[in-house]
Amino acid sequence: MEGVYVTIGLEVHCQLLTQAKMFCRCSTDYIGKTPNTLVCPVCMGLPGALPVLNRKALELAIKTALALRCEILPEVVFHRKNYFYPDLPKGYQISQYDFPIGVRGVLEFALEGERRKVRIRRVHVEEDAGKLVHEGLGVERNVSGVDFNRAGIPLVEIVTEPDLHSPEEAKECLIMLRSIVRYLGVSDGNMEEGSLRCDANVSVSLSPDTQGAKVEIKNMNSFRSVFRALSYEVERQAALLREGKFPVQETRHWDEVRQVTVPSRGKEEAEDYRYFPDPDLLPFRIPQDMLEEIKATIPELPLQKKERFMREYELAEPEAHILVQDKDLAEFFEACVREFPAPRTVCNFVLTEVLKNLNAFNMTIRESKVTPGMLAELLRMVERKEIGISLAKGIFEEMFATGMSAREVMAKKGISFLTSERDLEKIVRQVIEENPQSVADYLGGKDKALHFLIGQVMKVTKGQANPEVVKNLLLRELTSGE
Amino acid sequence: MPGHVSLEEVRKIAQLAKLSFSEEELTRFFQDISDIIAHFEKLNELDLEDVSPTSHISWSQPPMNPDEPVDWQGSDLVLKHAPCAAGRYFIVPKVVEKEEKLS
Ligand SMILES: [Zn+2]
Repeated sequence: MEGVYVTIGLEVHCQLLTQAKMFCRCSTDYIGKTPNTLVCPVCMGLPGALPVLNRKALELAIKTALALRCEILPEVVFHRKNYFYPDLPKGYQISQYDFPIGVRGVLEFALEGERRKVRIRRVHVEEDAGKLVHEGLGVERNVSGVDFNRAGIPLVEIVTEPDLHSPEEAKECLIMLRSIVRYLGVSDGNMEEGSLRCDANVSVSLSPDTQGAKVEIKNMNSFRSVFRALSYEVERQAALLREGKFPVQETRHWDEVRQVTVPSRGKEEAEDYRYFPDPDLLPFRIPQDMLEEIKATIPELPLQKKERFMREYELAEPEAHILVQDKDLAEFFEACVREFPAPRTVCNFVLTEVLKNLNAFNMTIRESKVTPGMLAELLRMVERKEIGISLAKGIFEEMFATGMSAREVMAKKGISFLTSERDLEKIVRQVIEENPQSVADYLGGKDKALHFLIGQVMKVTKGQANPEVVKNLLLRELTSGE
Repeated sequence: MPGHVSLEEVRKIAQLAKLSFSEEELTRFFQDISDIIAHFEKLNELDLEDVSPTSHISWSQPPMNPDEPVDWQGSDLVLKHAPCAAGRYFIVPKVVEKEEKLS
């Protein structure tokens, strides 16, 4: 929008991919589990229970901070964030305050092929709260139910500086962030299931020199709703400003049904969490060797991979961009190129046929039964003109559904891998030349001779040719030779 | 401000802790807290110019858990002893805000 200056900052929570909770050893595998079964005295806040840090949670948080190019603070200090809410059993959340894991990082992403940057203010680790249930409790209506299965699952919180200037940028930045946590294996980054949650601060001004009021938006449960909520909010604030009014500094919720943001109900008291260092968890220094070990596990990240793909495989930016969003897909592509070194052909097939089939079955490439080797074999057959590209697409669909190789699919479907007429013609002519007697018999009216000739062709092709096709070719050759 | 607490602050802390007191009690707590703070003020008489703030004296690595889940069998008992439970849920007065509070 002309003359509208937008400033957006994101606050993202990701559930860390640990097996056990952050300060106890309850399982984190909570989705679909019976309520309050993955609990213990620690995560239910029973008196006298003491937290013990899960080493893996710390490692994953450090890994995230390192990948976002943060300075890692040498000391790990946990604070209690005090507030009362029924999903918070202890009356405080164990979090981090003035000593987060990492500070001053950078996240790079691309918008329409152009490199953008957002500064990362901080990366810290904290525990998740329980879940409130309002319906289906089978009791009176004016109560809520609490399930602590999720309470105590480790989260990493990533806070950006307000460096984003449009809803498009914010969305791309968030997609890149999800891509990075997935690359790192620190979180599955699933917004719909709540393992990645995003809040945003938006302020709008009609002049580049003034700052608008900071409005916090919550309850955005998909990338699309992040984009829509921010777009709505920018419009809303700009409209107010144009009327000479000023937006209020407040927290608003995205209403997915009505597609609007609404002011949050509930107390608007200034937040006062009375943070203090948790006396149950002693501060400690991160050992240097632990830091080195974690550093060594950080893989090539999406943006670097994209640029390498463009350089090494001469892919165009939009294609490379899509390929690298999913690390497994990028690896599948590379593995396939190693066996069939025609990157652009592989890329095209992956971005069209592979993605189409994955979407149709709602599957990830990791779940697919087609290996890179199997796709390479199929593409090689196309290259050798054994099959046409449209046939290849159909064969791939079958490979995808059944896990069979291209040749197995063809054998099953009775498609000759020698359907390339030229290859088959050669064999047919050769058989005709080698069997003048049978040819003469056939031309003399002995139909049985034709079956003999078909058999000969099948023998040469080791049974891989389609007998129908062979018969037709033989007939054509025999009659044209007349 | 060191060594000082106002009656208003005591009132606010009580509110944050979801505790309600009579005016009389508030005045008493105000006096108690003021005395406690005054007592700690004595520490300010020490010359700590060259000492960096420390929240704990030990910097050794604390014990940490391996990332391996372990079942706990006591959840039925906790639910049984809860002031109010229905099925597998702990029951609390209706939470007004529909949205979940996050961090
Ligand atoms: Zn637990």
